[in-house]
Amino acid sequence: MLKDITFGQYYESRSLIHRTDPRLKMVLLIALIVFIFLAKNTFSMALAVLFVLSVMAVSKVPVKLYLKNMKAILPVLIFTGIINLFYGEGETLISFWKLEITTGGIYRAVFMMVRITLLIFLSSALTYTTTPNDLTDAIESLLSPLRFVGLKSAVHTLAMMMTIALRFIPTLIEEAEKIMNAQKARGADLENGSLRERVKALIPILIPLLISSVRRAYELAEAMECRCYNGGEGRTRMKQMHIRPRDFAVLAVCAAVCGGIITLNILF
Amino acid sequence: MTVLEVKNLTHTYSGNTPFINDAVSRVSFSAEKGEIIGIIGHTGSGKSTLVQHLNGLLKPTEGEVFVDGENIWDNPKEIRKIRSKVGLVFQYPEYQLFEETVYADIAFGPKNMGLAGDELKKRVLDTCRLIGVKDEYLEKSPFDLSGGEKRRVAIAGVMAMKPEVIVFDEPTAGLDPAGRESVMKIIHDYRQAVGATVIIISHSMEDMALLADKLLVMNKGSLEMFDTVENVFLNGDRLREIGLNVPIVTRVFYELKAAGIPVPDNVFTVSRAVEVLKGIKAGERGA
Repeated sequence: MLKDITFGQYYESRSLIHRTDPRLKMVLLIALIVFIFLAKNTFSMALAVLFVLSVMAVSKVPVKLYLKNMKAILPVLIFTGIINLFYGEGETLISFWKLEITTGGIYRAVFMMVRITLLIFLSSALTYTTTPNDLTDAIESLLSPLRFVGLKSAVHTLAMMMTIALRFIPTLIEEAEKIMNAQKARGADLENGSLRERVKALIPILIPLLISSVRRAYELAEAMECRCYNGGEGRTRMKQMHIRPRDFAVLAVCAAVCGGIITLNILF
Repeated sequence: MTVLEVKNLTHTYSGNTPFINDAVSRVSFSAEKGEIIGIIGHTGSGKSTLVQHLNGLLKPTEGEVFVDGENIWDNPKEIRKIRSKVGLVFQYPEYQLFEETVYADIAFGPKNMGLAGDELKKRVLDTCRLIGVKDEYLEKSPFDLSGGEKRRVAIAGVMAMKPEVIVFDEPTAGLDPAGRESVMKIIHDYRQAVGATVIIISHSMEDMALLADKLLVMNKGSLEMFDTVENVFLNGDRLREIGLNVPIVTRVFYELKAAGIPVPDNVFTVSRAVEVLKGIKAGERGA
């Protein structure tokens, strides 16, 4: 049961998108999301759809995985669609009570749903092609300008905390499973009973889990200090991130798509 | 009288991975009342997976587990009752302590069985007396105890359920010699008092030679041997092939034999070694 929880969704492969610099991927994701929202007619939206579909194809991540991410967001998607049905002008198709569904409304609803879908697919493309560690490194690197306002160590600390948190998620899941089994062996009933009883049944699991997490934290801190960790000061990286020629190519393609969206917006 | 019987037990960890591997494959054995069975095997040989089937924490993919002649999965809703019949003490059990006082923690298991009031109190106090937890400890926080004491309290938490079969997964791991000895002693005392069957997973061949009646040897998920301690340790070559060994004192006697001193092969404990050596010395004097 606990094993099914996924964190970070990295999908191992060696596509162009996997190899693109994680910092660039993050910046481009933000830029592209903005431009997808700027696309305001069928033609510019079609370009955005085409682009996102090709990103998905190039990423070599199975379509099934992208669709899996859609499932979680489906209720929001449907809700947005229904709300938007009633905001629109044009020919009235159906009307009841004070509401009416118009051709404009349908157009609007479809448009909104496509927009959200693209958003999810594009963000999934980032998380599927970038390891959690690369993501935190990218965040650290992108936030590094904050050092000019005296927040240098804060940026490093934040990134280190994120890395450690990600690293320990599987460890804690394993630990939680062990403790659950141990309490079940003592006759604990975790599956039955009222809500109140079930919440109470969590105490024998949460307390040992909390205690062992604190113990682990102390041990980790000590181990880090033994290896002369002293925060971000003068620290270098084993894996340097470099912008390579192919990153410029990726950047150029994305810039062209953004430009295309604006041009199509103006032309039609 | 057979208390526990495992028939053709197979457990497959699969999930959605393409690598289907049997963690435990077609294992059968049975345990008599009052017997001590040692389980030995290389890391990852399926020992821990096997014992989690004995109290129904894991459900076998194939095969059956019988406790007192009844298939424990005949009535899946009653599986919690099996856990008071077959106690399981995990590795490092002190990490499961959670209550405010030692007394409350030991009472957790019996309470889950439905005991209350005087009966519950008597059960906890009896267990404490049996394993030597002093009365003044009962109102202490379990987190204020030393490592060895925590371990004993955690073991008491399972013993308080009075299981007729009690399974230990490396009960002495990480303890100092005094701690190891005291844990071994309470296991022995519990068995004496309740007449329970004891199953111990251990990496210490010396402890096994001292304690166990029978040994169950696991290798890569399969049952390699299930026999008396003597018969298992006489297969030293096979044990070494699968990453195990015979007790150190037995190895010393192999060397003595190789050096031309006439000693038997079946010396597995230090006390037996002393006996044999004394015998030889007396024989030499006589000659």
